[in-house]
Amino acid sequence: MAWSRPACGCALMLVMACAVSPARAQDETPADTLQAAPGSTDERSAQIESIVEQLQAIQSEVDKQKRFKFSGYLQARYENAEDSDDSLRISGTPPAVTVANRNRFYIRRARLKLTYDSSPLSQGVIYFDGGTDRTVRLLEAYVTLLDPWTVEHRHSLTVGQFNVPFGYEIERSSSVRELPERSRAENVLFPGERDRGLKVVSQWTDQLETVVSVLNGGGISHPLYANTDPTGMKDLTGRVRWSQGVFDVAASYYWGDEATPLVGPDVETDKTRLGFDAQIFYEAPSIGGGTLRGEFYSGENLNADSLRALAPPPAGQGTALLRPGNLATDFVGGYVMWVQNFGDRAQVAVRWDTFDPNVDKDHDEYWRLGTGLNFFPDGNVRITVSYDFQNTETAGGSLYQDPKDNLWTIQFQHKF
Amino acid sequence: MKTLRITGLAIALVALATTPLIAARGVTLKGSDTMVILAQRWAEEYMNSHSGEVVQVTGGGSGTGIASLINGTTDICMSSRPMKPDEKKKLRDRYQTMGVELPVARDGLTIYVHESNPVKELTLEQLRLVYTGATTNWKQLGGADSRIVLYSRENSSGTYVYFKDHVLKGQDYAASAQTLPGTAAVVNAVARDPNGIGYGGAAYAKGIREVAVKKDAQVPGVLPTEATIRDGSYPITRSLFFYTRTKPSGDVKALVDWVLSEEGQKVVTKVGYFPIR
Repeated sequence: MAWSRPACGCALMLVMACAVSPARAQDETPADTLQAAPGSTDERSAQIESIVEQLQAIQSEVDKQKRFKFSGYLQARYENAEDSDDSLRISGTPPAVTVANRNRFYIRRARLKLTYDSSPLSQGVIYFDGGTDRTVRLLEAYVTLLDPWTVEHRHSLTVGQFNVPFGYEIERSSSVRELPERSRAENVLFPGERDRGLKVVSQWTDQLETVVSVLNGGGISHPLYANTDPTGMKDLTGRVRWSQGVFDVAASYYWGDEATPLVGPDVETDKTRLGFDAQIFYEAPSIGGGTLRGEFYSGENLNADSLRALAPPPAGQGTALLRPGNLATDFVGGYVMWVQNFGDRAQVAVRWDTFDPNVDKDHDEYWRLGTGLNFFPDGNVRITVSYDFQNTETAGGSLYQDPKDNLWTIQFQHKF
Repeated sequence: MKTLRITGLAIALVALATTPLIAARGVTLKGSDTMVILAQRWAEEYMNSHSGEVVQVTGGGSGTGIASLINGTTDICMSSRPMKPDEKKKLRDRYQTMGVELPVARDGLTIYVHESNPVKELTLEQLRLVYTGATTNWKQLGGADSRIVLYSRENSSGTYVYFKDHVLKGQDYAASAQTLPGTAAVVNAVARDPNGIGYGGAAYAKGIREVAVKKDAQVPGVLPTEATIRDGSYPITRSLFFYTRTKPSGDVKALVDWVLSEEGQKVVTKVGYFPIR
């Protein structure tokens, strides 16, 4: 890419030289060939043609290179948890050693994205992540075809592995997020955020956008079905967004099911999510831009805690654990968030988020108050200092306790 | 104690990393190559009449300017096209603002041909066919029997995007179109190539001949003049913009106010573009 300008500059110089330079000795280069030209206009024209053809060949190669776009970002993080302990614990069955120390440096994300715009009507993306466990994995890979019948190509079809088009937070890159992690509800309901399938995005007007998708349903982080789909039926999503500029609002729906292997026939449980999100943007004079945003989720989900959540069955009626209806529980979750920029280089963010995996059960709710400061030393770097006040009720004897698990995070991000 | 020490260290590091940014650096303008000659004249005259003020102007193309606005490396972005939705989204993601769009001049996107070229006017449809590669010989347009040599701009150019959206109707440029790094380069190339055709800002139209443009075959061709730009009869009329991240204040506001003043708009006319009022 960087050599396109010099190449073009050389091209121009050659063409200009053609018109003014006297004849000189002939050689293999276009410039020398040109200089060797006799003075007739026809010959000079022929040589210009020759140079133009050579330049077109170069330009063709340059244009191919320019269609590649490399981007990515790195997040190096230090975490300091309130309940950290300089010891090793042995727990579980079979017994295993657990590192209790939670003060650590680590690489949260190390991502490389390669985009190839093969033509105005198609695009290919391959996106890798090598963070956290230092194993490189395919995060996204998809082909997008754009419609040829609108000037702005307002409709697109994407097939492959991509973010589930639901709500606001999921599709928002971690590189632009104001706090280090997404909300708990999103983490639980859409682990890994991505799935395989197809989606159709339609920008009907400047304000109105719809997205529908057909997905395997398991997501890329499913413990059993990350690469397969055990059910023939696919999951469906739909989202309608109205973007007024300073005010955006959207409604999303996810309709699917989940297969649960039990002794005997597998059980399929409902997996539904209804989501609403809204964002308001404003500018505080002499301070900077700010946002108020919120997102709400509800629906049914296969609940890993269902077994514990069930009331003990009446005596003599066996276990209720095998009743399919009990495997999915009604949940609610969401967050509200405030972000305020201070000039171009500093930003404050505060978020309260909550998730209740089973509305029929007490003492299983989670909430967190996240606070963060972001500094932007230059156009590529973001330095984040955040503190999460977490509240998780955990059974402890006859009482429920909030474990001491508040968390400091200091993160250095470089985006390119 | 260890936690406190590390947290304190981190805050000190952050403070250290951000301190140099507070230093004053004047007002920076970056972006559209079409607007560079205009912005340079603005900067010269503004600094002459406002002692102590520093204005830095850099080109690179509208896309580059918008990227710099998003990255925070320029105060003002110059753009010869409106910002795209995905650019606005990036700005919003980073600054929580929609950006402020300020039309500062008008331009007629001008079609250049060599002075010897007998083709005097072209319809928008003919231009589309030429630049998408469907029409390849001047003879098909009433000219000599010779190949049409297309000169174009880099894809970071706002002029490139505007021409593609409004003349090519979103279609891709012909593979044979030669990409040049600025309107001046396009004009120079066309001025020396009897078979060449190029496009760019009206202020650069020197040493070439402008082609009258027709909306369709039934209407007369129109040249880009102040009158035809003002009344909208020239078919490829566009605004030239300043973009800022937030509502201008301080030195940036002072410069923008001056550019939009009668004095600033006189410079627009001197350079060869058209005032917004």
